[in-house]
Amino acid sequence: MEIDKEQMESFGVLVKQGAEARVFESNFVGRRSIVKERFSKKYRHPSLDSKLTLKRLNAEARCMTKARKVGVPTPVLYSIDPLFHTLTLEFVEGKSVKDLLLDFGLHGLNEEVVHEIAAQIGDVIAKLHDGGLIHGDLTTSNMIMRDGTNQLVLIDFGLSFTSTIPEDKAVDLYVLERALLSMHSSCGNVMDRILAAYRKSSKQWSSTMNKLAQVRLRGRKRTMLG
Amino acid sequence: MKEFNVNGSIVSIALFADVSNSRELLDSIQAGTLETEVALLNASLIPDIFPVLAAAYNALIAKSRATLKTRTLHSELVYNYSGSKHITESLKRCGISDKTTYILAVYFGSSNEQMKGLEKVIKGKLIDLEELEARADRVQILKHYKITSQELAISSLSDSITCRIAVRDAL
Repeated sequence: MEIDKEQMESFGVLVKQGAEARVFESNFVGRRSIVKERFSKKYRHPSLDSKLTLKRLNAEARCMTKARKVGVPTPVLYSIDPLFHTLTLEFVEGKSVKDLLLDFGLHGLNEEVVHEIAAQIGDVIAKLHDGGLIHGDLTTSNMIMRDGTNQLVLIDFGLSFTSTIPEDKAVDLYVLERALLSMHSSCGNVMDRILAAYRKSSKQWSSTMNKLAQVRLRGRKRTMLG
Repeated sequence: MKEFNVNGSIVSIALFADVSNSRELLDSIQAGTLETEVALLNASLIPDIFPVLAAAYNALIAKSRATLKTRTLHSELVYNYSGSKHITESLKRCGISDKTTYILAVYFGSSNEQMKGLEKVIKGKLIDLEELEARADRVQILKHYKITSQELAISSLSDSITCRIAVRDAL
């Protein structure tokens, strides 16, 4: 993939590069900001490419702001640029939950803090799901503990969509469970605590939990026969 | 009066209270007879200057690409600040009306002479931008932007408005 030097400089300092987007640090009218650029895929037909990119860009912006409406903390959306395919977002100061939990692996566990984090994660996901939103990529690196207030902020709504089906919610939780298992097994059973908090906050927890038990048996993908 | 740098352009902003000639101002803006073109906003809907700057940013981008949805850069700012797609309604609510006495004036550019001229045209008391938060009409803002109590628990008024301004064209 070719990186356009000139364009890169105009967005700011490159922070991260993924398969779908590049993330830059920048400044938006006096505030520290993050610019997320969905770049074009050169292997796609140009007109199809720009249509898809724009559709996903808008979907991400919509899901982020919808999440805020149901009480889930997300970065503030500053601006959308449909021409360059960028989102300008608030820069959330803080550590990712992934780094926090990995630190515990190195320096010993602080039960209380882990409990607090798990409780917030469960509560936030419950609000999101009850509001009819699926995050789509729940991992500990997509959660940031805001400095000062210790508020859990969910980031990266690039794979989000709206759905009220228990199946989708269960898969969302299952993805998180797998991620926790592979990254943070040294932290004890964080998932149980998350689910306990989820049950407490969600009004529709029972159907989701039943579905989750089924999903655990078969994996993330539904068996497609015929 | 304060100047802000928005994406390389200067935007001058002044806040007026107890304005007595809003009817004349409205008429001359609609007739386009003001000496200096300026955007006049209903300041009771503005709890903080940041969302205004975000709206100004979008207006400047649209201007540079010739994709303005309204006639001028200044009216585009009022339209953008509303966070709605209905232009007439936006200008009515976020712009000034006959009875408005509390006005935020925004001018794209920086010219002392023109800002001085403006202070003469707008018959009111020039006050500090710091007063925006205390003077904002919370109830009206919550209603206009449809901000729920759940959202308010995790976000400031100013941030909620900024989000709505940004996401409008994605809806």
